[in-house]
Amino acid sequence: MSTILTYIAISDGKLKRSSLEVLSHCKSLADASGASCEAVVIDAKASSFVDGIQKYGASKVHVVEDPIFKNHMNTPLLKALSKVMGSVNPSVFAFASTEGTKDVLGALAANQNAAVIADVASFELIDGGVKAKRPVMAAKIMNNTEAKSDKVLVSVRSGSYDLNESPESAEVVNIDFSMDDSEMKSTLREIISASGDTIDLNEAEAIVAAGRGVKDEEGKALISELASVLKAGIGASRALTESGVYDPSLQIGQTGKVVSPQLYIAVGISGAIQHVAGMANSKVIVAINKDPDAPIFEVADYGIVGDLYKVLPPFIEEIKKIKS
Amino acid sequence: MPDVYAPLQIKEGELIMDADRMVLNAYDASAVEEALVLKEKHGGEVEVVCIGPSKASETIRKALAMGADKATHILASGDEEYDSASYAKILSAFFKDKEYDVIGLGKQSQDTDSGLTGSMVAEHLSLPYTTNAVGLEVENGNLVVKRQGDSGQEMIELPTPCAVTCSNDMNDPRIPNLKGIMASKRKPIDQVEISSLGIDEAELQADTKVTSYEEKPARQAGKKYEGEAEEVAREVAQLLDTEANVL
Repeated sequence: MSTILTYIAISDGKLKRSSLEVLSHCKSLADASGASCEAVVIDAKASSFVDGIQKYGASKVHVVEDPIFKNHMNTPLLKALSKVMGSVNPSVFAFASTEGTKDVLGALAANQNAAVIADVASFELIDGGVKAKRPVMAAKIMNNTEAKSDKVLVSVRSGSYDLNESPESAEVVNIDFSMDDSEMKSTLREIISASGDTIDLNEAEAIVAAGRGVKDEEGKALISELASVLKAGIGASRALTESGVYDPSLQIGQTGKVVSPQLYIAVGISGAIQHVAGMANSKVIVAINKDPDAPIFEVADYGIVGDLYKVLPPFIEEIKKIKS
Repeated sequence: MPDVYAPLQIKEGELIMDADRMVLNAYDASAVEEALVLKEKHGGEVEVVCIGPSKASETIRKALAMGADKATHILASGDEEYDSASYAKILSAFFKDKEYDVIGLGKQSQDTDSGLTGSMVAEHLSLPYTTNAVGLEVENGNLVVKRQGDSGQEMIELPTPCAVTCSNDMNDPRIPNLKGIMASKRKPIDQVEISSLGIDEAELQADTKVTSYEEKPARQAGKKYEGEAEEVAREVAQLLDTEANVL
């Protein structure tokens, strides 16, 4: 029986929702094809995540636990993933397309001589491999890509699939891992975390994104207040991360994060194609912009034409009322 | 790569670019820029390598006009059905016997956004590497890279030789000036045939294949609310609750 394996990413001590989305999809593919749906978790506290993983249908959870995985580093992660592939021998190995995944996916494919399709919007099984849809040409169009191989790696954009609980009592398989200091090819000196308790944009249910129209501290304060009322993550257009108004990790767009929350509120964002490429798959899009011809309105479900400094205060107040 | 901002259309599953021009990938331009900055600070030589059909030579000239010292053009016909893995194998074969401190690459290509080639090359050459760099420094002969990770920026120290893939958030690539453009015409471009790199043609056969292109499912523009700010703001907030059901 063939095995569809999902890599479960852990970030800041939490299961990445995007990995569970991928697992949910793999479970349905496995059920339809008679394959075994398995998962692997690699972390300093990997075994503590098994409960959360088996809820989404993995019949076997492979666990690689070692203190070295406390922070992301590509050398040990690559070694662990290679070892897992050797021991599980999956026909398909699926990942959420996080920065951690992007750091090792190509190297893993080269190491394992596997076919690989990165950053897909959807994928399915075909005879002898995998077929996927990928946004290309600045996400203006899609292509269909096929990988024919007995080993296919595929990484999936966050928000491509819904979470679907399907509880199993999974068999836990511990995989031995050790890494000698001499094997480390590079050194992680430090991690500069984004300021404050920011919500990971790939995981956020709602995102409030600020663009060039947000000009000053007053504008930033309105963005923060709206985000706080909605328990939303804060994102920004490239204009505002480049000018240092917001942290670079908050940039949404083709070159920043590609997000697809339930609710995306674009505030003072004109909607350049590079930005839209990063948010067009959001479920509901609200745009607030004073230029009625701003391209953002072409993708917005609800477009408010108006000055954000006048629109946001009553908008926030009304949402507070609804929420209370 | 083709210019992603040029008009394009899809006919019966095939992608047709109206303009047949090649441009320098923006992420690669950032890698070239960063190499030039390192050279200005620490000395050395910047060499650029490009795999592409003969018309890619204009792109190579652009990198030379920015200030790169010399170039190698690995000639492809343009009809090969190569994927990231094939390109990585060609590059690795090229670099195998070369001496270098750092191989800089764009983190992905703007047309396909796959982002695989860099780490593949590093793996083939057993090089220390990192991806998605937003800053580079040289300290005590090592490369110190600031990488944009999932939950913050990681500072990673790599011994040389190493490979690093660059984000366009790293710098604003310089626009070549007239002097640079004139100088670029005198700089050497070595032409290399893939067959001379000692790779078995069968190894370059791609495992992945683009079978067709299609339009994105169009997102319908919704409704625009214009009028008195307070009124429309409250109306849309209400609709998010009652109609869109997302509050």
